[in-house]
Amino acid sequence: MRTGTSRSERLDPFSLVISFLDILLGGVFHAAVLFLVAAGLQLVFGVQKIINLACGSFYALGAYTGISAVTWALAHGLPRGLFLFALIGAGLGLAVVGPPVEALLRTVYRRDEAFQLLLTFALVLIIEDVLRMIWGANPQELGNLYMHYGTVGKGALTVPAYNLLVIAAALLVAVGLGLFLKRTRFGRLLRATAEDRETSATLGVEVGRVYTVVFTLGTVLGTLGGALVVPTAAASLDMSVDLVVEAFAVVVIGGLGSIRGAVVGALAVGLMRAFAVSFMPEMEMLSIYLVVIAVLILRPAGLFGKAAA
Amino acid sequence: MPTLIETHDVSKSYGNFRALSGVTLAVATDEFVSIVGHNGAGKTTLVNVLTGLLRPTSGTVTFKGLDVAGVGPVRLARLGMARAFQLVHIFPGLTVRQTLATAVVSQTGKAFHLLASLDGDAQVRSQVEVVARLFGFEQLDLEARSLSQGAKKLLDVASAFALRPEVILLDEPTSGVSTADKHQIMRVLVDAAKEFGVRAIIQIEHDMDLVSEYSDRVIAMHQGQVLADRTPAEFFGDRELVATVVGKRRARE
Amino acid sequence: MKAAVWVGLGALAALAAAPLVLEPYPLTLLLQFFAYGLALLGLNLLFGYTGLLSFGQALFVALGAYSAAVCTRKLGWHSFELVLGVAVVVAVVVAVPIGLLCVRYVSIFFGMLTLAFGMLFHSFLFKFYLVTGGDGGMLVERPSLFGMRFAEMDKTMFLTRPFYWYALGLLAVGTVVMWRIVHSPFGLHLSAIRENARKAEYLGVEVRRLRLIAFVIASAFAAVGGTLLGVRTGLADPELAYWTHSGNLIFMTLLGGFSNFAGPLVGAGVFIFLQDSLMSFTQYWRLVLGVVLVVIVVLFPRGLVGLAQSLVARLLRRRRDAHAHRNA
Repeated sequence: MRTGTSRSERLDPFSLVISFLDILLGGVFHAAVLFLVAAGLQLVFGVQKIINLACGSFYALGAYTGISAVTWALAHGLPRGLFLFALIGAGLGLAVVGPPVEALLRTVYRRDEAFQLLLTFALVLIIEDVLRMIWGANPQELGNLYMHYGTVGKGALTVPAYNLLVIAAALLVAVGLGLFLKRTRFGRLLRATAEDRETSATLGVEVGRVYTVVFTLGTVLGTLGGALVVPTAAASLDMSVDLVVEAFAVVVIGGLGSIRGAVVGALAVGLMRAFAVSFMPEMEMLSIYLVVIAVLILRPAGLFGKAAA
Repeated sequence: MPTLIETHDVSKSYGNFRALSGVTLAVATDEFVSIVGHNGAGKTTLVNVLTGLLRPTSGTVTFKGLDVAGVGPVRLARLGMARAFQLVHIFPGLTVRQTLATAVVSQTGKAFHLLASLDGDAQVRSQVEVVARLFGFEQLDLEARSLSQGAKKLLDVASAFALRPEVILLDEPTSGVSTADKHQIMRVLVDAAKEFGVRAIIQIEHDMDLVSEYSDRVIAMHQGQVLADRTPAEFFGDRELVATVVGKRRARE
Repeated sequence: MKAAVWVGLGALAALAAAPLVLEPYPLTLLLQFFAYGLALLGLNLLFGYTGLLSFGQALFVALGAYSAAVCTRKLGWHSFELVLGVAVVVAVVVAVPIGLLCVRYVSIFFGMLTLAFGMLFHSFLFKFYLVTGGDGGMLVERPSLFGMRFAEMDKTMFLTRPFYWYALGLLAVGTVVMWRIVHSPFGLHLSAIRENARKAEYLGVEVRRLRLIAFVIASAFAAVGGTLLGVRTGLADPELAYWTHSGNLIFMTLLGGFSNFAGPLVGAGVFIFLQDSLMSFTQYWRLVLGVVLVVIVVLFPRGLVGLAQSLVARLLRRRRDAHAHRNA
């Protein structure tokens, strides 16, 4: 998507601005996908206090399933223009994975956090091999399908319309989530359970059901993120473990448990990566980790999170 | 008698709420002080300030002449002050012996002995056994979590004593204990204090019988202020004072 | 305690005799076990005894391996004693500032911070290929043991005889040292911190300082393990620092049972042999390991050693009850 211009060529201000916008848009696109996964992490942590190391695995699951769904749908007569819906369908359809996984995690709720982390780590191992079993070890991709929606812009600054669609979708989800949590009854129920599990239980809230719904929602956000990213990037087995660290960075910067934090954190990480890759590729992930460490030291609660140590 | 703890005009506010105002008091050697007052009067806040857990909004707190505002529990233990809480704190998976040994290790300065044998340490062993004997613990190898609630509480207090502090602060040491046992515990406390060279005891206590029988001094707290600082006889002689501080239901007739 | 000493000596004798009986391949697996055993002894001090779950121990394992590589390959220092010294010093130097930062936080935040540092190092190893060799890693040359080069031996011979016994010796020494640490007054204070850090403070336990020391000791043990790994494979690889490697270390600890001295050693051994057998069996060995981890976490949280202990306890109780019944 980005043209590889060397520094000496980017001397006139106009092309500088174009390059800048180009990088910016790339960063925002990456941020949009990251936000989806991170929002899922935040929801689950906010309500159930579980950090899901398998969030990247769900992301990968969504990616692979998305590819299969689109391939199958196109082969069965779906018009090319509607491939996006196949992806969304795949992402949403994977919601079925949520309840059984949550049931498994439920067995260790009362125990030390270490056990929860380890259980999700076990899922990372299991899901990776499930992916390997079904789709094999080679990366999969959808080729140029996403270009079907064409590009937007002119001249040096063109952006695939697909990317803008994804960004729009992420925005929609962000706003939707916000409204859901603030305005709907279930949303308020969620926030109440997050604040105080015991009191909510005594007030008649079926905490178990809330947990299942929340976890499934968190899972779906992850699988949706993976499904949406897959037209522009290949699905590979490494995705699952690579994404975890980025998602963590988002959550730390934004603050644990905060959806707003997921937005800001995702933008921070997405943009940092995009600019680092352009100017100093070695620093790509390093810069992110340095920021994560700095945030954890200076403001452990992140930008929007609650109490820390 | 040399002063051990002193506060001067201490106030503590949380926003608009004044938990303590203008508290000035001094505790000297050989004093057994009881702090009384009903809930919310500021007793726990005062003890928190005295033990360096809370920094006063204004005023000073000194221990043996050193400023201990907000100093924190570890430093305080080092300086010679120990504390036991109303809510029982134990080390669930450690045995009685290990719990007491933790305090003894701190007190004998052995925490950084990485390669020395703990079991083979006669000094630690004997000190643990002295404390255990005094507080009536016979089975030292039981896990703390398996003890009865009363025994857990006693262990908590015993471990504070095992630090051989100069001053010990107890938050309702006999709460949750049957009346018959209360006196026994108080006697144990007084004996332990003598045995370990504890120079002053400060307790928060609601049981007025215990207060009158064992304390030298009663500090009555009310709405964040020290309403009275008298001997038990003087305190209980003043019926109105008692009623204000304690509530009519519990005032002695 | 006496029983434990006999078991330990017995195991040591059996392991020492192994090269006379076993094929080279299982011996190299045992080498791996020695390396991970050391790393896990350290991790268990931090996790099992002090209660700090670090998701970045792999950082120090990698540091050990890369120290070995830099010393032997870049600096020409082949004395393994020197390499060990360098690895420990490097680990300590890195662990102190990281530890100072991390021990202020507990549970999740500690885990996240250590994970971030671990990945920071991984990123550095991966990207700065001019310095670190990038994803190709850095070669580790054969070291000399107590001055002896064993030049006449081929690689396999070296690894399965002199180096094997050296590594076994290191593990034995490490085990004894860790045993002493765990049973010292320091060890007691660590356990107190794990059980109830707040109460520990009130009993005069210097929580932060002790956590830092535990962290540094754990890092040193991990680094020594890393040097052994580096020599064994002849390569220091950035993937040694990846977060899933830290995850595996914790897996091993849990498999054996933490807060239990022998647990991590048992866990390392079982994990390595299990992984190896599974790998030759199926390409989906991760799945099996994942399921094993689930079973352990849900059903046997005290690990294999904990399970063995409760089985033995039950057996003893049944024998005692039968005895009482008979005598009634």
